[in-house]
Amino acid sequence: MTLSHYLALSGMLFTLGLFGVLTRRNVIGILMSIELMLNAANINFVAFNRFLYPGQYQGQATVVFIITLAAAEVVVGLALVMAIYKNIKSVYVENYNIMKG
Amino acid sequence: MLEYVFILPLLSFAVAGLILAFGKWLPLKGASAGIAVALWGFSQALLLFVKAIQGGLTLPYEVSLPWFTFGANQAVLGVYIDGLTIAMLLVVTTVSLLVQTYSIGYMHGDPRFKRFYAYLSLFTASMLGLTITSSMMVFFMCWELVGVCSYLLIGFWFEKKSAAYAGKKAFITTKLGDLGFLVGLLSLFYATGTFQISKIIELARTGGLTVAAAGIAGILLFLGAAGKSAQFPLFIWLPDAMEGPSPVSALIHAATMVAAGVYMVARLYAVYALSPVALNTVAWTGAITAFMAASMAITCFDLKRVLAFSTISQLGYMMLALGVGGATAGLFHLTTHAYFKALLFLAAGSVIHAVHTNDMREMGGLRHKMPWTYATFLVGTLALSGIPPFSGFFSKDEILAAALARNPYLFLIGAVTAAMTAFYMARALVMTFHGKPKDAHKYDHAHESPLVMTGPLVFLAAVSVVGGWALSRNEIFEHLVNFEGVLPFELHHVAHVQVALFSSIVAALSLLLGLWLYKVKPELAGVLREKFSPVVDILESRYGLDVFFLKIVDLADWLSGFLFIFDFNFLDQIAIDGWAWLTLKLSRIQGWIDNHIVDAAVDAAGTVTMSAGRLTRLAQTGLIQNYLLFVAVAVSIFAALAFIG
Amino acid sequence: MTETLIFYMLSAVILLSALGVVLLPGVMHSALCLGLCLAGVAGIFASLGADFIFAAQILVYVGGIAVLILFVVLLAGSASDLVTRQINDSWLPSLFICAAFLWSFLKVTVYFSGIAASTLPVPAVKFIAAALLGDYAVPFELISLVLLASMTGAVLFGRRKAQ
Repeated sequence: MTLSHYLALSGMLFTLGLFGVLTRRNVIGILMSIELMLNAANINFVAFNRFLYPGQYQGQATVVFIITLAAAEVVVGLALVMAIYKNIKSVYVENYNIMKG
Repeated sequence: MLEYVFILPLLSFAVAGLILAFGKWLPLKGASAGIAVALWGFSQALLLFVKAIQGGLTLPYEVSLPWFTFGANQAVLGVYIDGLTIAMLLVVTTVSLLVQTYSIGYMHGDPRFKRFYAYLSLFTASMLGLTITSSMMVFFMCWELVGVCSYLLIGFWFEKKSAAYAGKKAFITTKLGDLGFLVGLLSLFYATGTFQISKIIELARTGGLTVAAAGIAGILLFLGAAGKSAQFPLFIWLPDAMEGPSPVSALIHAATMVAAGVYMVARLYAVYALSPVALNTVAWTGAITAFMAASMAITCFDLKRVLAFSTISQLGYMMLALGVGGATAGLFHLTTHAYFKALLFLAAGSVIHAVHTNDMREMGGLRHKMPWTYATFLVGTLALSGIPPFSGFFSKDEILAAALARNPYLFLIGAVTAAMTAFYMARALVMTFHGKPKDAHKYDHAHESPLVMTGPLVFLAAVSVVGGWALSRNEIFEHLVNFEGVLPFELHHVAHVQVALFSSIVAALSLLLGLWLYKVKPELAGVLREKFSPVVDILESRYGLDVFFLKIVDLADWLSGFLFIFDFNFLDQIAIDGWAWLTLKLSRIQGWIDNHIVDAAVDAAGTVTMSAGRLTRLAQTGLIQNYLLFVAVAVSIFAALAFIG
Repeated sequence: MTETLIFYMLSAVILLSALGVVLLPGVMHSALCLGLCLAGVAGIFASLGADFIFAAQILVYVGGIAVLILFVVLLAGSASDLVTRQINDSWLPSLFICAAFLWSFLKVTVYFSGIAASTLPVPAVKFIAAALLGDYAVPFELISLVLLASMTGAVLFGRRKAQ
């Protein structure tokens, strides 16, 4: 297995996540797609660390930070979703249009 | 001693304000303060004078401090004192003191008593400032200030229409001359580059001033002097100035202010000496003035106006003296004249105070009622007529000698004037004090004036008796007021004695003629008046000069009327209205352009902005995913660019 | 050989479950797919020899985040989700954009082709611990602050408004 395999995998995963973020109407679906993109990034970090800098662990350490941040993000994001859902009674983002110009 | 001279005008100035502000609470309503300062000034001036004639002072003395700079030039503020200044100082302070003392009696009970003293102090301050200043700029300021005081005091009784009118006349007429003075001053500054008197004199002496410049500046400055000192043809204001209180006439219009013109010419004598033309102008103007004024005095019935004409005439004499190179004689005459003319005016004031009229035809026989006034008036008459040994004799004699040395015609005019002077003074004396009382009612109410009025009269009479002799003894005055080094030409020493003899004989004869005519044969005088009525008419109308000046005013009126018509019919109708019409048309066009082009452009800008906004508003969907899509598009474009690059 | 097989199998699991996350109409199914996908990623981490990350992935993502999302779906989901359209109007431009992204990712991948692992993986926990408490001590503390703040924020948002 070479680095490019992993990179291709993470690229495809990221693209899928991006597509989900851009197209899903459900706000929880969008959050899940964001998780996919984050995971794609994590795969990249670990793969680069493994193939280009063996014996060093900065990449993995960064992934630890990213996982932590992702957890925090999901917690806050879901709390926001619940708060909004309480007010608007909808999980569809096109209803979240109070910023419409 | 000399260092403190500058305090004199400042103190007078301060006391003027003091009287105006706090006069109510001062003793004698403020008169005491004015008199105290005047007394102090007199003592200082006298001390200076005595020291100067003893040779205890180094003259000239000058202190000039920088005042302000304009361009490369500097204006100074300071004092310049020489013999001339000291003589003038003595004259001003003496007359001021005596007049203020006299006024306690004369102005007694006047509702504006306090203000009168404030004005007198202000005048004294200005006159002293004019006398001692070292800068022509300050000189001019003081010159105008005394003019203002003169205006205020002539019109002091402004309830009287004639007094208000006389004040205006005096002010405007002298301003006419002052215009020349100002231009002359500026041209002098242009020529010399300084306003400092000592520097101007120095430049004139050392040839730093061209003859032409000196002549132009001199003649222009003399215009101012002609206004202030009532010389031909601007003397018309002085007779009318007699509407003011008599002490004012004595102080301002006899002794000091009217002498300012003479003083100015003497101050800048070095400039005048350079230019024979200027000197001749001064001499001939003086001679003509002396003659005309004396002739007018003969027919006048107003006691104070007779004296006013006499003042004009004597000022003409002084100018004549300056013009023929006898500057010292002119200044000597200024000094003696100041005393005896102040005396005459104060005596006349005393008479008027007693009988409440100026008209000599309503007086007569007053010598029994007012012995002191009569005696002092007699002394003044003799002094003015030039009868030895009174003071006028000495000074007038010197002027005539100087005139004879220069030009026999001028001497002739001077001699004739001297004879006329004696004649009209005899006439005034007789009509006022001799003969039968013409108005019994007024005669009965007449009384001798109080001591505060007769006191100054006696003092002045004493000075008039001995002053001329005292000052000419050992040539005291000539040593004090000399013009060494600036005299334009060597004075031929003519036989002084002959001139003296001649002039005194002429004066005595005409005096006797006057006495005889008016005392013994008063009816003959009336007959003569009838006989020579055309001449009398001319004299009464003051040679038509009043009419002449009024004609000038009329001309100006007519011209302004014409200009009004021109303005109204041409400028207003065609230029202004046409301009308005044009403006209207132009603004119509502009309005159209504004509405159709400018506004359209502005509207278009607004419309474009709004449409653009409406268009771009579409992008603002409020949908997060659309925004994200834009971000993704942008990122992919950058990525594409990166790969292509 | 086994390694390659495992990689492709994991990749298939990841991509298919990711497709499920993105495309399935039911959010409930999406959330379950997400769990599967994250587990697959954990497998990828294991195949890369990152033992600590593998454990963290299982613990935090599969055990924490996926379950949390499931809870939220249970709270906020509705039955109509299954019948309403779950994809928005701009799916076609999104598709083009995603194609462009994918194309550029694959272009990048070409630069790194042929790089194989030169060493065998070693247990990394010790070194990561050293890195986190050594070089990254300050970020480590900061991230704990972030966690605290997010926890507080979540409580704040989730709380009923005090009337």
